[in-house]
Amino acid sequence: MAVFIQTMVAGVLIGGVYSLIGIGMTLIMGVMGIINLAHGQLMMVSMYITYVLYHYLHLDPYVSLFIAMPALFFLGCLLQKYFLNPLIKVDSVLPENQVLMTVGIGIVLTEIARFIFTSDYKAVKTPYSSAAFFIGSISFSVPMCIAFLIALLFTAILFWFLLKTDLGRAIRATAQDKEAATLMGIDSEKITIITFGIGSALVASAGCLLMPIFYLFPDIGGPFTLKAFVITILGGLGSTVGAIVGGVVLGIAESLGATYIGMGYKEMVGFVIFVLVLVFLPGGLKRLTKI
Amino acid sequence: MKKSLMLWGLLLALSFFLVGGSQPVQASGTIKVGIVLPLTGKMAKFGEMEKQSFEMALAEINAAGGINGKKLELLIEDTTGRPEVGRSVAEKLITKDKVVMIGGGYSSSVTYAVAGVCQQNQVPFLVNTGSADKITSSGWDYIYRLNPPVSKYASAVESLLTEVIKPKTVAILHENSLFGSKGAKSFAKLCKKFGYQVVLNEGYENGGIDYKPVLIKVKQKNPDIIYMISYVMDASLLMKQAKELKLTPKMFIGGAAGFTMPEFRENAGKASEKVISATLWHQILPFPGAMDYYKKFKQRFHKDVDYHGAEAYSACYVIADVLKRTKSLKNTDIKAALAATDMMTVFGPVKFTTWGKLKNQNKANTYVVQWIDGKLELVWPAKLATKPLVYPVDWLQTWGY
Amino acid sequence: MKKGNLTVGIFALLLLLFPLVVRSSYYQHLLIIIFIWVIIGSSWNLLAGYAGQVSFGHAIFFGVGAYTAGILVTKLGVSAWWGMLLGGFIAMAVALFVGWVCFRLRGPYFALATLAGGEIFRLIAINWESLTEGMVGILIIPTFKSKLPYYYLSFGLAAACILAIHLIMRSKWGYYFVSIREDQDAAESMGINTNRYKNIALLVSAFFTGLAGAFYMNYMGFIDPDVVFSLHYISIMAILVGIVGGVATIMGPAVGAVVMVGLQETFRSSFFGLAPQWVSEGHAIVFGLLVIFVIMFMANGIVGDWNKISRLFWRRKAVRT
Repeated sequence: MAVFIQTMVAGVLIGGVYSLIGIGMTLIMGVMGIINLAHGQLMMVSMYITYVLYHYLHLDPYVSLFIAMPALFFLGCLLQKYFLNPLIKVDSVLPENQVLMTVGIGIVLTEIARFIFTSDYKAVKTPYSSAAFFIGSISFSVPMCIAFLIALLFTAILFWFLLKTDLGRAIRATAQDKEAATLMGIDSEKITIITFGIGSALVASAGCLLMPIFYLFPDIGGPFTLKAFVITILGGLGSTVGAIVGGVVLGIAESLGATYIGMGYKEMVGFVIFVLVLVFLPGGLKRLTKI
Repeated sequence: MKKSLMLWGLLLALSFFLVGGSQPVQASGTIKVGIVLPLTGKMAKFGEMEKQSFEMALAEINAAGGINGKKLELLIEDTTGRPEVGRSVAEKLITKDKVVMIGGGYSSSVTYAVAGVCQQNQVPFLVNTGSADKITSSGWDYIYRLNPPVSKYASAVESLLTEVIKPKTVAILHENSLFGSKGAKSFAKLCKKFGYQVVLNEGYENGGIDYKPVLIKVKQKNPDIIYMISYVMDASLLMKQAKELKLTPKMFIGGAAGFTMPEFRENAGKASEKVISATLWHQILPFPGAMDYYKKFKQRFHKDVDYHGAEAYSACYVIADVLKRTKSLKNTDIKAALAATDMMTVFGPVKFTTWGKLKNQNKANTYVVQWIDGKLELVWPAKLATKPLVYPVDWLQTWGY
Repeated sequence: MKKGNLTVGIFALLLLLFPLVVRSSYYQHLLIIIFIWVIIGSSWNLLAGYAGQVSFGHAIFFGVGAYTAGILVTKLGVSAWWGMLLGGFIAMAVALFVGWVCFRLRGPYFALATLAGGEIFRLIAINWESLTEGMVGILIIPTFKSKLPYYYLSFGLAAACILAIHLIMRSKWGYYFVSIREDQDAAESMGINTNRYKNIALLVSAFFTGLAGAFYMNYMGFIDPDVVFSLHYISIMAILVGIVGGVATIMGPAVGAVVMVGLQETFRSSFFGLAPQWVSEGHAIVFGLLVIFVIMFMANGIVGDWNKISRLFWRRKAVRT
């Protein structure tokens, strides 16, 4: 029983961080209908920002949140404005050009990071990095718990933003029906830019939160991009609640898979769920919850 | 018209590509050796480290007079870690640059590809990192290897287990790479030989964040020793999370260099204390120049170097030694000089012999080190030890619970 | 058109004579790699460019083909050349299953499902050690020392692949494929069994990609899961070859393969040793910049936007046509 509970705890906690990565992706996919294959690389950029701030200015990774998130917001806006939006006007056979553009952006970001920081592993070591507290025999990692709580906080703020502010409503409207939104006087180009910015800022926060527990090198982005897809599809496109639930479900599924099937199959569990959801529950958890 | 124009354009591009490539580059007075390393892609970290070590050794060799008055020139080329590119690199080095021999070879898949080309063209290839057994057991006579094959990495641990720890149950965790899974297999075989029960043997994709699920499972099985084959960051995460879970076997044993790097200590902190590890090389080993090399590297590149770097550095010296002794720069003469190698390097003595299924294989030893009070000490074999092995260990106290 | 045929003929002849003139095994090797990419890129193009089903998982078929050839040697002890016969068909069998799952989905969902499929196959190959040897990989000793047999075989395969796709696209199937790409619902309402034709496109595509995989095993002599099921270096590279050359054109992927392999090798070797060493360190970034450049300014690839390019360089000629 203790094994089961500990597995669940590990899954839920890591799921919080997954959720943050997933929400950013789901917003971008929902509003623009494109897969962002550079999502993990954006997280890598924010992690390097966190690392630099820690290394040279001794800023705590949680303080870096306030610098890395705006920085990535601007980077995201720039990418959308100057690299992705112009493609909409270009006539091409396949609509997937924007997706491939993100592949190119991902490669360039990775190589720039390698150019500046080399391929060495970098890590931020805080006093609380390996701190843990115990409830009964169950161990809780302190930085994981903090990350989980901050992830909850951010999603709450984002939720409020999407539901209560005009800009948020405009984003949701664009996500639902771009043409109708444009007819209603929403500047959809501006909305896409802001959305990509918010998505990037969210994944940046995930990067900051991971820094105390994880490490960093230029190629770290790829696996996280894949995780973000799984979460997005699991939760349903464009659904923030779905992404939160999807992130936690993925975390739990991976943990259970690692404990009860085998560590080598951990990643596979995620992908199998992904394909199953795509095929048998198109629309994801959103279909069940209707939010 | 449109189409034909395009085809001609294609032809033009191709011819440019060929003409641009056929420049003669043989400068007089230098001896060219090709080095194949992954300098971009996932394995670039180690490729960079080896490249820097090669360059360091090269500068020293040339400063000391080069090869009998001639300068040694290394053509270090990027394989990107992919076999087909590695093959392109080898073909180019041999047919275009006319190198006299090839060195390097990081991952086993690329090393196979390069070795195949070298064997076909009969160009000597000194492997210094690719660790799959098959590299020297395929009967290729132009392939020489400095580092031991992966199946021999744990040999020093063997005597430690039988003489000191005498475990009954063993758990093995390894990264899913050739190095990890082969190493785990040969360790499992070793356990079987001595009658230790392997209660768990699992691989993982490296780069995971959370190893707790598998560590909980290990904890439940309560093994006497946990043998882990992981690189440095996974190693730190494994130990930190083992500490968080209060996982206390009789001993944690690392099966690869990950557990011996200063980065492991830095990142795992207290959780690294008293962990022991098998290692191929460490700067504290009593080889002439080992510590100097480590210090020089650290001073020049501001980072720590592990056995990968030492292998590359030594390989460069072996290459220089071979080229000094060879009768001519003909492939057969260089091969003969390689076969006659018997020298001391920072990586230990180097001599290529044929033993078991392995051909032209250097018999490097492995050692056991332990983190004692934040410093890495050589603890096994006992006669070389810098400090006695600390065993048994009260883990909870060590971790400060 | 006649003149076009003539050019193709001359070009093919030149490629046939190439290894007899240029004896350097380095260039022969580069062309073999290019031919492999011509096959993969063209196959991807049939499914994605013509039929509009953008696959992010072509590594599945490449890897299955390669492993078919490899496993024939390690498990059955027969020559890996049988894999050239079998690899394509096993890849087709796998494609049937992949299609059964993924064709329920459209557009980006299809792309994502194939992407996940590729990763699942890679993880299976890593973990199913009793069949695939896991990360240890499969090593065989190549049959021929000379590159010529490999050269002509890969050239033949690439030519056959392009020809097959050319013929398919001129047949009834071709029109069905394009109509599915343009508007699947409209195609359906016209009475085209879209599912059937999507599957046909996938099967042909998988067959040739599987052949390329089996050839890779025979030629390179070593495979492991990370090499042949690579998302980045096989699946995405296949897309890039198609996009850079030009989607939905017959010769596009061939041009893409030449450009991508050639460009990478040129930069990797610092313009064959003519440029300073640091150039080679930038080859990966150049790769990324090229992708961005092509997509921004030549959305239909080199062949698709050939008019645009020729206008830039050969103003007069382009006007005459």
